[in-house]
Amino acid sequence: MNPDELRYHKEHTWVSISGKKATIGITDYAQDALGDIVYIDIPEVDAEVEANTEMSEIESTKATSSVIAPLSGTILSVNEDLEDSPEIINEDPYGKGWIAVIEISDDSELDDLMDASDYDKFIEEEAG
Amino acid sequence: MRILILGSGPGGYVAALRAAQMGAEVTVVEEKEVGGTCLNEGCIPTKTLVASAEAYARAKDLASFGIDFTGEIKPNARKIVERKNSVIANQVKGIRGLFKSWGVTLKEGRGSFIDDKQIRLISKSGAEENLTADKFIIATGSRPASIPTFPFDGKRIISSTEALDMQEIPDSMLIIGAGVMGCEFGCIYREFGTEVTLIELMPRALTTEDPEISQIMERELKKKKIKLHTGVKVERVTSDETGVKAFLSGGKELTASKMLVTIGRAFNTAGIGVEHAGIELDKRGAIVVNEFMETSNKDIYAIGDVTGGMLLAHVASKQGLTAVANIMGHKEKMDYSVIPAGIFTHPEIASVGIRENQAEERGLKYKVGRFQYRALGKAHAMGEIAGLFKVIADADSNKILGVHIIGHDAADIIHEAAVAMKAGLTVEALADTVHAHPTLAEGLMEAAEDVMGRAIHVPKP
Repeated sequence: MNPDELRYHKEHTWVSISGKKATIGITDYAQDALGDIVYIDIPEVDAEVEANTEMSEIESTKATSSVIAPLSGTILSVNEDLEDSPEIINEDPYGKGWIAVIEISDDSELDDLMDASDYDKFIEEEAG
Repeated sequence: MRILILGSGPGGYVAALRAAQMGAEVTVVEEKEVGGTCLNEGCIPTKTLVASAEAYARAKDLASFGIDFTGEIKPNARKIVERKNSVIANQVKGIRGLFKSWGVTLKEGRGSFIDDKQIRLISKSGAEENLTADKFIIATGSRPASIPTFPFDGKRIISSTEALDMQEIPDSMLIIGAGVMGCEFGCIYREFGTEVTLIELMPRALTTEDPEISQIMERELKKKKIKLHTGVKVERVTSDETGVKAFLSGGKELTASKMLVTIGRAFNTAGIGVEHAGIELDKRGAIVVNEFMETSNKDIYAIGDVTGGMLLAHVASKQGLTAVANIMGHKEKMDYSVIPAGIFTHPEIASVGIRENQAEERGLKYKVGRFQYRALGKAHAMGEIAGLFKVIADADSNKILGVHIIGHDAADIIHEAAVAMKAGLTVEALADTVHAHPTLAEGLMEAAEDVMGRAIHVPKP
């Protein structure tokens, strides 16, 4: 279910690393918990994000929640399709529903991320 | 008792009717039209535009309500303004009818004190007449202040007055000030398709609201693709046939076809002869009054915007009632402790009492309860799920200190909180009162429960 090639943060975001660049999105577990997403406050290009702090806000029909940055860095690009069609995140959280690409500023933070099997276990525990 | 009232806005006309009910002989002098700014250029016309914008928004969204529609839906500025004018005309007629029914004499023209016992009336036809009375009430209101940086030309650089009479929908608009008016007009015109940019000197939109409410409103503006620049000053403005250009502090330049200036109100104290009647003004030009609404001349009262306090129609009305009570011998103080207020943006905003930042600044011990609109079944049924109920209560006594609502019909729902606060009730009282289901007002009950950590429709933390 959770793709093996991705890394995961405990606040339910995923990261796809390619050199110094990291693509960020929310996990399937997160989108399922949120329910129908109606809006995402997309961060701005060039904005700085800090690991473990809010980088964006998501509104679903159930709740308003923070997207917590898994890594620190500078936003290189954002998924503008989400502006008018935030439901893409529900439909394809690991693909078309990506949120932003950042330039990683602190490689050591990668060590805090989980691999897919750890994350599977983590959400199993979360779900109780 | 003969009472003469200068101005017939929501302060003056309400005072006139109450005075007449109490048996006074009342004359009202009005230069423009009964109802004042509120009815003719303010509250009511903006709300009719809001209604048109809402109708249009609904129409564009029919499919999500399961209604098939094929055809073109578009706003027609001329007809929207026509509707607005007919709503105003109807309300004006209503006030005139009430005056007639209570025997209030309406003198149309400009009145100014020639001494502290007489007013010179220059009627619309130019005829002059001196009017006397035992007591006077000044209720001349306020008007948009022209600020040198933004000189109104009525075409490119406009005030709210012209924004209510637009004959076409502008393709772009810069709005100076992201306060109540700026945000209201921003939402209206954005809905009609205008590219709207709000420019605000302060660090956030709606600085007079609870910061959390401002933050939610800022997100709602972003959702509507209304651009917001906060913490910037407009250094200079140029305009020509094609549009306006604003030069912001920091070097940014913005252009648009119109600029709407929503900041600043000037008090209507010029040309009404205050100097002949011994009436003291403050340094802003507003009339100084005490809590009985008396000016420095004890036979002359002043109410509403012209006194420079809270520029709200309903405050003016209450001040009018207070002034009349005092004139008629019932000593009464104006009570500002519970004044609800609405902002007719989309979504709507309403507040009463203290804001959280004020509670903090004053070092109060307080608790906060919150409840989201999206947790209400009714909000989902209506398709209006954005919003928040926020209740601030005293940490020890649980007394309600302030309530802030952003969301559908907030300005109607707030009155439950206002009554509760006026009665000095606690959050338990709000929470223990059965609220009908399904309603939006259930959200207030839940927010009150949440102050005590026991809202029902909230997951376990």
